[in-house]
Amino acid sequence: MNMRRAVPTLFVAAATLLGVVLLCPPGFAQQAVAVPDAKQVLGLEGLKHNASGTLSVDKGTLEFKSGKKKADLPVTSISDVITGNDSQRAVGGFVGTLTMFGPYGSGRFLSLFRTKIDILTIQYHDTSGGLHGAIFTMPVGKAEDVKKELLAEGAKTSIPIEPAASGQAPATPKKEEPKP
Amino acid sequence: MKRVGHFCIFAFLIAASLFAGSARAAEDKKPQKISASTIQILVIQSDEVKLPAEFQMALYERVIEELQKTAKFEHVYRDGDQAAANAKDLITLRSNVTGFKKGSERARQVTTVAGATSITIHCQFVDKSGKVQLERDITGKVRFFGGNLRATYDFAKKVAKEVQESF
Repeated sequence: MNMRRAVPTLFVAAATLLGVVLLCPPGFAQQAVAVPDAKQVLGLEGLKHNASGTLSVDKGTLEFKSGKKKADLPVTSISDVITGNDSQRAVGGFVGTLTMFGPYGSGRFLSLFRTKIDILTIQYHDTSGGLHGAIFTMPVGKAEDVKKELLAEGAKTSIPIEPAASGQAPATPKKEEPKP
Repeated sequence: MKRVGHFCIFAFLIAASLFAGSARAAEDKKPQKISASTIQILVIQSDEVKLPAEFQMALYERVIEELQKTAKFEHVYRDGDQAAANAKDLITLRSNVTGFKKGSERARQVTTVAGATSITIHCQFVDKSGKVQLERDITGKVRFFGGNLRATYDFAKKVAKEVQESF
């Protein structure tokens, strides 16, 4: 009698477990990318321009966290991802501006020191179809990683990643050696 | 003596009528303001000039921000916004880059005269029937302070000023 009662319960539990297993694996299998020294130049709603923070891509969401504030958007809403590079002053911000008034040309001397940065530009659409653009800067070499992760999770791009940059050798047909 | 007095009055009356006439002519010449309650901003095109993606997006976002600040329109629609199709009294801003010179922040700070970044964009304000209501060539520049992207801010400010004057 007890066995008869237990069978349907076990069946429901097994079905639920199977459903969870089928739905979850792709999400857990993806490796998240996080860039802690990123800067959101503009474009994300709810964040100030030039906000510093952590940019991460995980479970189909691009997230930028700056202090207590954060903004996120679904990766599938991204219609274009483009990387670029530039340089910025080694001494930046308000202090950097003040140094320009330093005596004996010291400010100008300081402005010679610059650090290279990567630029990541994304285009995404809101729920009503309106186009948005967001620009991020980050340390050199990080933008390509973020782009790869975004593309892997469903974002689109007008400039595909070059095979050499992605670390994969270009697919070349094997030549058959002539038999003697 | 009496004649001189009459002559002075006569001369004064002529001068006053001439001044009033020129003032009215100036009023007539003053362009009429364009009426629009909503605006849609399209993405800045760069058919002839190669513009980096970050500049293109920065221009687009900055223009939207600055136009929202003007409070001249009830709503500022983005490119692709489906709600814009039903908006009445809509005007569309189409922009095409005609000139772009990427300068150098380092050169600007070291020399103070070289390294300026400038972007020249042909802007058209088009109504729903496709008629161009206003068109201008607007240039955004950064000469001394700030990075190259600051030129996009300068451009957006100038677009907003144009809108303030014309709408």
